[in-house]
Amino acid sequence: MAQVTTRTQVAPVAQQELRQEPLLQIENLDIHFVTQRGAARVVDQCNLTVHHNEIFGIAGESGCGKTTLVEAILQIIRFPNRVTHGRVLFSPPGKPPVDLMSLSQAEMRRYRGEHIAYIPQGSQNSLNPVQRTGDQIVDGMVAHGISERQAKAKVPELLTKVGLEGKVAHLYPHELSGGMKQRVIIAIAISMEPELIVADEPTTALDVNVQRLILETLKTLREEMGVAILIVSHDLPVHAQLVDRIGVMYAGQIVESGAIRPAVKEPLHPYAMGLMASVPSIGGSRERLEGIQGATPSPLNWPDGCRFHNRCPYVMDVCTHVPPLLAQPEPGTRQVDDLTRTIGPDHLVACHLYPESTPQTGGTHE
Amino acid sequence: MATQIPSTTFEEFEGQEVQQERLLEKKMLLSPAMRYVLRRIGLYLITLWGSITASFIFIRLIPGDPIRAMVAQMQLQGGYNTISTSQSMSDFYEKQFGLNGNLLQQYLHYMNRVLLHLDFGPSLLSYPNPAMDLVKRGLPWTMALVGTSLVISWILGVVVGALVGWARKSRWADTINNISLGLSHIPAYFVAVVLLFIFAYNFPIFPANSAYDASIKPGWSFAFLWSVIQHMALPVIATVLVFAASWLNGTRALVIQILGEDYLTFASAKGLKNRQILLGYVMKNAWLPQISALALSLGAIINGNVLVEQLFRYPGVGQLLVMSTQQKDVNTMMAIVTILIVMTLTANLIVDLLLPLFDPRISYSGK
Amino acid sequence: MKAFIGIWKMSMKFRIGFTMLAILILLGVFHRLLIRWLLGDIDPLEIGTGGGIFLDPSRDHLLGTDRYGRDMVGLLLSGLPITLEVAALAGVISTALGAIIGFVAGYNGGRLGDTILFTITDMFLVIPTLPLILILAAYAKGLGVIELSLVLSVFSWPFAARVIRSQVLSLRERPYVELSRMTNLSAWEIIWQDIFPNMLPYLGIGLAQASIGAAFALVGLTVLGLAPSGILDLGTLINNANQWGVLSLGKWWLFVAPMGILTLLFMGVALINQGLEDFYNPRLRGMS
Repeated sequence: MAQVTTRTQVAPVAQQELRQEPLLQIENLDIHFVTQRGAARVVDQCNLTVHHNEIFGIAGESGCGKTTLVEAILQIIRFPNRVTHGRVLFSPPGKPPVDLMSLSQAEMRRYRGEHIAYIPQGSQNSLNPVQRTGDQIVDGMVAHGISERQAKAKVPELLTKVGLEGKVAHLYPHELSGGMKQRVIIAIAISMEPELIVADEPTTALDVNVQRLILETLKTLREEMGVAILIVSHDLPVHAQLVDRIGVMYAGQIVESGAIRPAVKEPLHPYAMGLMASVPSIGGSRERLEGIQGATPSPLNWPDGCRFHNRCPYVMDVCTHVPPLLAQPEPGTRQVDDLTRTIGPDHLVACHLYPESTPQTGGTHE
Repeated sequence: MATQIPSTTFEEFEGQEVQQERLLEKKMLLSPAMRYVLRRIGLYLITLWGSITASFIFIRLIPGDPIRAMVAQMQLQGGYNTISTSQSMSDFYEKQFGLNGNLLQQYLHYMNRVLLHLDFGPSLLSYPNPAMDLVKRGLPWTMALVGTSLVISWILGVVVGALVGWARKSRWADTINNISLGLSHIPAYFVAVVLLFIFAYNFPIFPANSAYDASIKPGWSFAFLWSVIQHMALPVIATVLVFAASWLNGTRALVIQILGEDYLTFASAKGLKNRQILLGYVMKNAWLPQISALALSLGAIINGNVLVEQLFRYPGVGQLLVMSTQQKDVNTMMAIVTILIVMTLTANLIVDLLLPLFDPRISYSGK
Repeated sequence: MKAFIGIWKMSMKFRIGFTMLAILILLGVFHRLLIRWLLGDIDPLEIGTGGGIFLDPSRDHLLGTDRYGRDMVGLLLSGLPITLEVAALAGVISTALGAIIGFVAGYNGGRLGDTILFTITDMFLVIPTLPLILILAAYAKGLGVIELSLVLSVFSWPFAARVIRSQVLSLRERPYVELSRMTNLSAWEIIWQDIFPNMLPYLGIGLAQASIGAAFALVGLTVLGLAPSGILDLGTLINNANQWGVLSLGKWWLFVAPMGILTLLFMGVALINQGLEDFYNPRLRGMS
């Protein structure tokens, strides 16, 4: 049922060229929360690149910091005591790159909605219950300097784009179904024609058919508007259907990133292997579902060295004390322990199975 | 810009369902809104009947039979102490106070008088004037006092409360919140005493008692109105301070809860300006629940007002109630209590009927 | 006890409130000893025991004397226990009453029973009850502390009933209660084993609210000078001060002293209530 579709064949050449340009670069990002029980290093030394007009997926089990990471991009984290290090470089076309982490709230506000739009996780409660949906589409545009009259005129078009009738604008959120609410939110997200849409579990809570429609809508929007989408989901079939590239997140870090097909067929990181194997029909060859041994560690106390080492079937001595770097292994086919892996370009991994990741010997590309 | 968005079969399906519901509604004799209104009015009439009946039972259950005691006192005052006149006097008064016949007859008689004629019988404080006349004289003053205090304290409390909740981390918000936490838990009467001492005795800025300057002829003159406002100032300020504080705390808690809602995160992710979020999202969601709380607070504010009126010797029904209680003027007491209960119940009815017009979440389906 | 320490540690409001209330209760309990120690072996209510009327505060009479020449500190100390007793007694009675009604309405009432009981509770909360209390007190002769508490609790039970009903309603839907119901435990067993232990904090909140309600009503009654004869509480002292026009005499402390003590009482209970709510209603916790 979950088919992997590659978009590269349909995409125009110009777009493909643009796609190599980085739009969002997350570099060594730390988001630590100061709690009564100590610092929770929810996102810790995280690295990630999203290119123009691509759909990038972040996968990982709950509690790995996915949501915090995307909230950090928009700087909408609610937790009061937090410590942030690192950079989030955003490079919209025709403009110099800007480090979002260095912006004040007032400066950041201009980027939210206009350049980076958000599709939230709890979309069932993300619309203001006492405001008509049309007005909620309009106020976002007004906040970015569009006149109210122009904004209102644009509402029917936006609703059509996401597959809704124009009269939905006159309804209140409680009069809409879950799928319709999600579409309204997408309409709000595209209203300013942003360069990047950040979607946090956009289809969780929706039934499978509505889920499929929403994903199709996102795909269509990417093709027509040239927008890049960063989508977070714990649901691998969602990624397989939708994304171009995927980043696998574990314990506050991206441990593997690369094009979706190789990442799913031949995952490099042992955690990613376990993750792919735990989903029927994606891993392909395996007969039996395999889980990952052990429990997710706590952000209050990540393990030393590689954070996955105490759950890893391939654990080595070095893993217990040296943190691996996210690096590009030499492309080509190689034997990794008992597995044969064909590594393509632009496929990064943070694991000592690949000597490039071990700090002394491996070079870091990012 | 034609788009090839996948067909929305599911949404259409949902749309049909909604339409079917609408059709069903049309087939029914009354619209849901009408049914809600009728049910709410029905509940109102039942509670009204219940409370008036309860007040009848209440007055008959009180040990010592207050009405007979009152009749006896009237006879004493009249000086008709000889046995022959006493009997006829007694009959006369019993008839006048609705005491003849058995309990059921008395009840019917009472309901008839109260419901149809708003007549609570003669008063004792100024016999033979009807008790209702005394109440009518005091009621405008009380309504002015309670109404002004209620409106000012609600607006002040909700607006400041929302701001304090919005800026909950700042020092000034914290200070205001702590002060109002303290204020909201003391009787308005206490505040009134302090104000009275400072602003009427130490610095005689405001008058200490009564509702207007006795030297000014009551009427629609500027001098009279000014005098009325001056005399209202202290009691109103005292009540406002306490009740605004309690609205402030309630609204602040509500706003802090709203600030944690998903729709607020999304609002800031849309890049809305703070002003847009505060007015369109926070305020709008906070003031609606506080409207329904407005009617609920009426009882408490009237309770407090009785004491405040007494302190300022204000000629409202609160002071009248205390006087009639001291004089054991049962009819006047009952008239006041009944009127106050009817007023609060009616205010609640009005709010309940109007609220769905403002709040889209409360549908008339009566949930 | 463990819960107490937990709340004590977490909530500054609870600490302050509890300390205030504890001081007042100690003063109330040991008032006889304190009076003897401060004023000697006299009845503080007896006229002329203070050696002069309307004396200003001095070393002998820390808060001066009243119009009958009674020492104000002595009056305050003998008035305080009455206020405390009535508030506590009425609070307990109304909480018990409110708990029964709240449980019946919330757990066993069915739709109709719940609607009727809830409508009555709501009506009592909506209507001004002080006038009714005034009338009742005017006719009931020779009310003692216990009878007065009973009268007041008739009007303050809805505070407790409302808190308890809403909790019962939410507890009733918890999985473990569902489980007990499926295993055919009787309603009483479920209430006793599953619901009641979880209700204790809310009974505490109900008690705090009902005591405040009762204390407000009592003070309202006595401040208006409508206290049953023989009951002299702090409100009576306020009424006296008002009757004698002490503000125009400049003797504000006769007003302020009883009001201050009552304010301590109201605030103490209110802060305890707040602390309990913050602790057991963590929806607001951590956000403020």
